Formats: sequence, C-alpha cells, structure tokens
Amino acid sequence: MLRRVSFVGAGVVVVVIALVAFVGLFMLRQPGALEGTTTKLHLETVAAVGQALEWPRPNDPHADWVGYLPTTTWTVPANSTIQVQIDQEDGASGLRNPFWGKVFGTEGGNMHVTFFDDKGNPQESDMTSIDPTQAAHTFAIPDLGVFVPLLAVNPNAPANSTNVITFSFKTKGPGRYRWQCFVPCGAKTIFGNGGPMQTIGYMGGTVIVV
Amino acid sequence: MWRLLVIWVILSAVGVFAVLQLRYPPYDQSLQGQDQARTLALLTALATPVFLGVVIMILYSAVYFRRKTRDLVDGPPMLGHTPVQIAWVAISSILVLFLAVFGIATLSSENVAQLVGATGRTIGGGQTGGATSGEENKEIHVQVIAQQWYFTYRYADYGGVETTHLYLPLNHPIELHVTSLDIVHSFWAYELGVKADANPGVDNIFHVTPQKTGSFQVRCSELCGLWHGHMSDSAGQVVNQTDFDTWIAQQQKDFETIAKVVPSYAPYYFPLPLTKGS
Repeated sequence: MLRRVSFVGAGVVVVVIALVAFVGLFMLRQPGALEGTTTKLHLETVAAVGQALEWPRPNDPHADWVGYLPTTTWTVPANSTIQVQIDQEDGASGLRNPFWGKVFGTEGGNMHVTFFDDKGNPQESDMTSIDPTQAAHTFAIPDLGVFVPLLAVNPNAPANSTNVITFSFKTKGPGRYRWQCFVPCGAKTIFGNGGPMQTIGYMGGTVIVV
Repeated sequence: MWRLLVIWVILSAVGVFAVLQLRYPPYDQSLQGQDQARTLALLTALATPVFLGVVIMILYSAVYFRRKTRDLVDGPPMLGHTPVQIAWVAISSILVLFLAVFGIATLSSENVAQLVGATGRTIGGGQTGGATSGEENKEIHVQVIAQQWYFTYRYADYGGVETTHLYLPLNHPIELHVTSLDIVHSFWAYELGVKADANPGVDNIFHVTPQKTGSFQVRCSELCGLWHGHMSDSAGQVVNQTDFDTWIAQQQKDFETIAKVVPSYAPYYFPLPLTKGS
C-alpha cells in the first residue's frame, strides 16, 4: 500500500514540475531578436533540380523533378519584412485556377519582374497580375495571405535566361507556415499534381517564423 | 433494488440537467447548425440515463457482489428476472422508436430541406446584379472552389467576383455551389453546420442561413494530399448586411485586375486545359 502511494505521489510531483516548467518557459519566452528587421530570401525555380543554373542538385534522387532551390525550408524572423528574389528559369505550365494570376499580400500589392519579350529583349515592370496561362509557378504562403504568380521565361528568350521576380511581404508571429505552388507543374503526373507537388523539398515546404 | 432505482433516478435527473447546460457543436451560427446542435443535445440527454444505469449497475455489482473470500469459487447461479428484462426491452424500444420518429421529422424539416436543396428551388448560376439589403429573401449564390490546397469563393450575384475568404451576410439565405478543380475535397464550414463533398466537374448544392455574426472555420475534410492538414481557413465571417456590402465592393475592386482572364461564372467550374504537367 505504501509503495503504491509513493508511486502515485511521485507521479503527481513529476506532472506538477512539468506543468510549472512548461508555463514558466512559455511566459519567459522572449520575442525574436530579429523582429522588425528586414531579411532577404533568394530562391531559384527550375524545371529539373539537377540542371539548375545556381544551385543544381545533380545527385538528387529525382533530378528531373521541378523544384525550388536551394531549399524549401526557410527560417525568417517574426513580424518582419522579407525581401524575396526568385530567379525563375522555367517555362509556362499555366494556372489551374486563373484567379491565382493576381498578386496578393505583398507590400504595395505588386511585384517587380525582369523578363524577356517576344523578341527576346530584356524588359522590366511592376506587375499586379500576369496572364494565368503564362505562369510557371506561384510562391504562395496561404496563412500569411501571400500569393505571387511567377512569370514563365519567354520561349524566344536567349538560352539559359532567367526571369527575376522581386517582392516583399511581412511575417506575422512565430509559427510554421506551409508554402506551396498553385501551378500543377508535376510533369508526367496525373493533372500535374503528383510527384514534386506532393513531396516536401520540391514544390512545397515550410516557412519557419521565429 | 429500490435503493438502486432511486440512485439511478436522482443521478439521471442531475445528469440530464447537466448535459443540457452544455453547448453542442456546431453551435448556433446558422439555422441549420442550430438544428444539428439541438439534435445532438437531445441524443446526449437520452443517452445519459442509459449510460448512468450501466455505470451504476457495474459499480453496485462491484461493491455488493464482490468476492467475499480469497477462494476461487463460482458465484450464485443467475436465473433471470422477468420484470427487469421486460423493462429493459420496453425502454430500449421506446427510445429507439422515438429517435427514429424524431430523426425522420428532423430530416423533413424546412431547415434540413433547405440545407440539402430539397425545397424545389431553382438551381442558379450566372446571375448578375447582386442581392441588396432590400432583397432579404433572395438567395445569394456562392460557388466554393476547392483545389490542392485552398478554397476560393465566387459570388455569382456580384459579377462572379472571386475571393480568398468566405464572407456571408447575416440572416440571408445562401446557396452554396461546391466544386473542385482537381481531386476530391470536402468543404466543411464547421460552425455553419455545412459539410459538402467537392468533386471535380460536379455542382454540389447546399443551403445555409447564417443567424449570428462572427468568424467561422473552413477546412477540408477529405484526405487530399500533402497539405490536406493545412487546407483550412479561420477567416470566414458572418457580418451584417452593411459590412458585407462594403467588403464585397472592395473585393470587386480588387478583382478588376484579374477579372478579364477569369472565366465567367458557371455552375461547373472546370477551366481548360484539363490536363497539366505534360
């Protein structure tokens, strides 16, 4: 009987200590040291991760899959401005839902794009939307309300050309936010929604806000 | 026996009173949700005496019929008790039959008929012009478009404007047209009491009448791939008519930049090309 009471007592003590520690740590948690700052995020999108111009992964088990590079897990500070530059090397797949051709959630509600026109000449422009059929990918963090369509490289552009898309958005409080592409760009899969669209590390990942 | 019965009656009365004080999901943000919550409350209230009867009997037996010595011997033979058996079968039958009648009556009610669109209303699509505060009985048609992994909404009565969140005006009947652009999803507006399959190429129609302002959650309830668990939105809102008019006007203004390339509103939203990624 005494032994049973001891076990129960020890259990209660452990639970109480755990609760106090949890509450204490939660209350003592300090805001991120980088809150309120500006952070740069440089990414690359490419039709085959093994053949990327900037961060190629030739030994990737799916080197012919489309993907974001160099990684799909990004750590950024809370309540801060994130300046994003995406070097977009891919051709058009087109949006399943044309609505996502519009820019949402960026500072100023737009993005800056350097691209190539039909004659292969470089151009640049601030855009609030693109032709949905000319979307290669999207950069979307739904829980932050950020949806940015990425203009495809014009087929008349010089070889190895890259569209550069830049924009800024603000993060909220700490947390893990999923991001994804809304263009069904998984080549050779049903409706383009398989393979890299369903695998973290290619067309989906996590924004870790700290 | 009588002592047991008295204990059961007292505890049941207390238990039924207690469970009727609880708020039951999906609460009362819509007429249809309120019906579901009431049904759940009734079922819980009826189940409480049954549950307590079983628990009391187990505890009573454990205390009064427990083994008196440490010897392993058989207990006294059970010879049955006809009145108890009759009462047991009779009470169970009454409960089940009552619930069957209640269920049929509920399914036949106006609110449920509205929810599943069984009232003979014309299924709309392509209407323009917009319902206003002066047309309170006119249903607002909202298309729910599911895709991996987000819901968007088109308001047929407001020029087919598409939005990233679902806003609904208070006390206004809504006709939801649920569809999908890719695979099978399920639209679940939890507090509104609406859960509808979203199938590609299918116009699944549900009706709901919000009766309380506030936010509600929307989530997908059909396993749909990598980010199924994140296919949710807690920014759904039931707002008064004035706020809704202001919000939809802003949405229409924002939509202008993309309106020319978005197809016109249609009950079947399945834009070409059907196949991608090739």
